[in-house]
Amino acid sequence: MSELLAIENVTSGYGESVVLDDVSLRVNEGGSLALLGRNGVGKTTLLITLMGLTRLHGGTLRWRGEDLARLSTHERARAGIGWVPQERSVFPSLTVEEHLTAVARPGPWTIERVYAMFPSLASRRRNFGGQLSGGEQQMLAIGRALMVNPSLLLLDEPMEGLAPLVIQELRGIILDLIATAQTAVIIVEQHAKLALALTENALILDRGRVVHQSTSAQLLADPATLHRFVAVA
Amino acid sequence: MVAHLIGVLFDGISYGSLLFLIGVGLAVTLGLMNFVNLAHGAFAMLGGYSTVLVMSRYGVPFFLALPVAFVVSAAVGALLERTLYRRLYRASHLDQVLFSIGLTFMAISAATFVWGPTQQPVRVPSFLQGQVQIFGLDFGAYRLFLIGVVVVITLALGYLVERTRFGAQIRAAVDNQQVSAGLGINVDRIFCLTFALGSGLAGLGGGLGIEVLGLDPTFPLKYIVYFLLVAAVGGAGTISGPLATALILGVFDVAGKYYVPEIGAFVIYALMIVLLILFPSGLFGRRA
Repeated sequence: MSELLAIENVTSGYGESVVLDDVSLRVNEGGSLALLGRNGVGKTTLLITLMGLTRLHGGTLRWRGEDLARLSTHERARAGIGWVPQERSVFPSLTVEEHLTAVARPGPWTIERVYAMFPSLASRRRNFGGQLSGGEQQMLAIGRALMVNPSLLLLDEPMEGLAPLVIQELRGIILDLIATAQTAVIIVEQHAKLALALTENALILDRGRVVHQSTSAQLLADPATLHRFVAVA
Repeated sequence: MVAHLIGVLFDGISYGSLLFLIGVGLAVTLGLMNFVNLAHGAFAMLGGYSTVLVMSRYGVPFFLALPVAFVVSAAVGALLERTLYRRLYRASHLDQVLFSIGLTFMAISAATFVWGPTQQPVRVPSFLQGQVQIFGLDFGAYRLFLIGVVVVITLALGYLVERTRFGAQIRAAVDNQQVSAGLGINVDRIFCLTFALGSGLAGLGGGLGIEVLGLDPTFPLKYIVYFLLVAAVGGAGTISGPLATALILGVFDVAGKYYVPEIGAFVIYALMIVLLILFPSGLFGRRA
């Protein structure tokens, strides 16, 4: 598989402060990566750095061989990065349908396909973002990112605060995306075992640095490392 | 008595319509970009002078001069947004106020230099002069025309913001700029177009308003308080809020000056203070 995204020796943060320190990772076309670690170790900062919303102090970001850091935030989305932000961040002033049409870009993902994947969104298409339940908001955030027709999906704690049944449903959907849609995925998750079961590769951050890198299966079989760096539920 | 009341209401509504047309751009800039643009009145003045200029110098008819006013103010708005305003989006409100009040003073001086300090006359078409009789009551023809124009523009604006993809993108950017950009929406471009639209509407209002508000170089200072009230009390970032506020403002201003002339100028300020106490986030607070 060819390289989609490569992060090399990236140091980034907010203003003068440094959150990520010398981080490197690589994601192939259609690949999947679980990004693990305790609260506040820089997982979200890593995703936000990919979106160009932090200050890049050093290192390189490569997207299909090109320099990603030169692109502005909206150009990165258009280049094929689908961002599902933490806490979902649906737009309160937009209806469900408007969430999907406002960001739509041409490609295999259409509004019909998103509704087919999330039938509960179809039945609430005229509702405003703020009127949805937590699970529906999460589905909307994922559907919205898919409408950008991304080659890489960034999922920032998609299961956070959801009921177990909803988590089960979402789990199936994400698995489906990884398996069939040929969309690469980086998933940040507190539920480490859940994320590892979904993904191919795993990476653990601690205090802004990469402390472990392996396949997800290897990490699942290594409870000592999991316990040391990740809160295991 | 009743006829008087209807007359006051009618004048107030036409006055309020004009305040809305000019002020809505300010409400949008405040809501979308969180920018306190005290120079907003200068764009209205620019529209007014454009109207006078193309009519007197090039003999352009009034109805064609109004679109010119819109285009000139919108173009200057877009240019200034790209070159000056955007540098201050992240600045403090004090910096924004100092910058935009400075721009206002420059506009006042420039207008005085070019056109002199006197009131500019505008000749509206003869059929818009005088009165129109409806149900035995006399209504100013120009004020009826004014209300008609603002109704049409408000409907178009409502359609643009509530029904189109561009409108959805504006609302998304108001809700969350970073997430909007992270989903491929070109927020910079939206800011520029929206700023231009707001400036253009102010310019159109400036041209339409010469007959009602007058036009001299102090225009941007004289009326900025009204435009700020429309934006602040209406609730930044909406259309219905500023519309309702502008109409209330217009009616009470006219009624105050008519019925209690001794304190007429203060009536709206008292009213606005009460409204802001009752609805601190604006008359139509943002949908939550």
